[in-house]
Amino acid sequence: MGSQKRIAKELHELVESPPEGITVKLADEDNLYEWRVFMDGPEGSPYQNGKFQIKLVLPTEYPFKPPTVSFATKIYHPNVTNDDKGSMCLGMLRPDEWKPSSKIGAVLQFARQLLAEPMPDDAIEGRIAEQYKNDRKHYDEVAREWTRKHAS
Amino acid sequence: MSNSTNMNALSQAEMERFQKLSNEFEPDVHGPLVSTKQSSHSIALEYANADPILATKTNDLAVTHPTTRVMKGDGNCGWRAVAFGYFETLFTMRDQLHVQQELIRIKSLNSYLDRVGLQEHLYEVFVDATEEIFAQTSQAIHNGDQDESFLVNAFNEEYSSQAIITHFRLLTSAWMKLNPERYEAYLTMPLDQYCATRIEPVRTEIDEVGLQALVDGVIKVSGIGVEILYLDRSEGEHVTPHILTDSRPSQATIRLLYRPGHYDILYRAEPTVNMTPMVNLQYDMSSNLTPWDQGALNFDVSSHLMSIPNLMADPGFGMGAPMSPMSPMPPVSPAPASPFRVSPPQEMYPSPMQSHVSSHAQSHASIPSIPVSSPPPVMPSAAPPPMTSLPSRSSDGPQIRLNPLVMKPNLSHSLPVSPPFKK
Repeated sequence: MGSQKRIAKELHELVESPPEGITVKLADEDNLYEWRVFMDGPEGSPYQNGKFQIKLVLPTEYPFKPPTVSFATKIYHPNVTNDDKGSMCLGMLRPDEWKPSSKIGAVLQFARQLLAEPMPDDAIEGRIAEQYKNDRKHYDEVAREWTRKHAS
Repeated sequence: MSNSTNMNALSQAEMERFQKLSNEFEPDVHGPLVSTKQSSHSIALEYANADPILATKTNDLAVTHPTTRVMKGDGNCGWRAVAFGYFETLFTMRDQLHVQQELIRIKSLNSYLDRVGLQEHLYEVFVDATEEIFAQTSQAIHNGDQDESFLVNAFNEEYSSQAIITHFRLLTSAWMKLNPERYEAYLTMPLDQYCATRIEPVRTEIDEVGLQALVDGVIKVSGIGVEILYLDRSEGEHVTPHILTDSRPSQATIRLLYRPGHYDILYRAEPTVNMTPMVNLQYDMSSNLTPWDQGALNFDVSSHLMSIPNLMADPGFGMGAPMSPMSPMPPVSPAPASPFRVSPPQEMYPSPMQSHVSSHAQSHASIPSIPVSSPPPVMPSAAPPPMTSLPSRSSDGPQIRLNPLVMKPNLSHSLPVSPPFKK
């Protein structure tokens, strides 16, 4: 099947030359469709020094449907659901914006960029977004605290 | 009979009812991705109780284009109609050499993808799927298969259907980026953004600019024509045709029926009947010839046959003509008449084979934005359809659909002379 061929090549590329602050491996060696991703919190963000574990799942329809990205590590962020799922679904990750020529590496870089610069106007957690916009100091504090508690 | 499309005679209430019926046309979102061929009467039936203009046009359509093939309205219908029509036409032409040439040509278009910076491992699976359909087409011709059911099956398989469509989307996007001067003026946003949001995402329906670019970049060089028949409320008894490949004669033509937001495939009534007298003329004359003067006479005959390609381009071609009582000839494809073509194909665009070569030559020295060739001349005859005449498909303005107050009275039956698209 074509999608497996492509996933294997994308995985190979990401393992051989990983983007900054990102490492990937298969959650289970026999299953190309579920990845475990380790992401360093970007410098200068309240997530700095945190190491976040992310579950990346490729649908069987990949690359015609986008991967799903969820934080296994608890994170305080306006674009990540503040529940046990930790889902992130915006921008290129939306099924109607997904382009089959997008690569998984770009998805992960997009997610990491989102840690550096949240998109409060496209937030899933409205309360955190409000705080991010109006009370950055406290947002930073809580995010830093969660990072220390859950991601290190 | 001009069913007296007298709008004044319609009461306000009737107008509103017709408008409602027009607006309520919903493409089929349930059936197969690509249907089998079916009678175009089904289209006429949909409009039987609608606006008299649409009823007249769809009744006429069922005569001129007796069969249709329905595309699922899943956001890919226009792309799928062109891709399916392309392979079906290749199969119908049954020219193995042509199929092989097309395979090589389409694969050579990978150079477009490379030049806009796509990595091969991201697009090769789509090219693989297209190549597989070429192989199946070639095999079916080899086997002497009578019908195109292998293609219908392949295009109903979600993966291969999506992959081929994605391949064509990526080629179209790359083509536009490499020939921005042809399209930029017609876009309401920067071209890169247009490609990223209107061409490349899955299930984004094709619009007029995208369709023209798909035809220009992927289909045209094959010699296969693409014609759209617009079912709108403009004056007249026929659907309004527009040929997207008018700068070169076509050996065969893909015909699309356009209704707001949706494309299906149409098949014209076989023009056999009307071709016959001309062909007989040629045969009669030829049979009386001694060999040495055959060439000369061919030339003379050609002046008569000159009209054939043009006739072929006329959707109303011969539909009203009486059936010839002496039509012993089997269906005659217009293709063999090539010596009689009005003009040689015009190289509007760099042949992909050439660009392939030159792209290698410059691959290290140049950036993708350097055009391989001079910008394609924007000739009036190559103009894309006038967008001002097209119904809007924006979903937030439903009243625009088939609205007689908005529609321009008529699209010319001839080539467009007005500025293409919207300014």
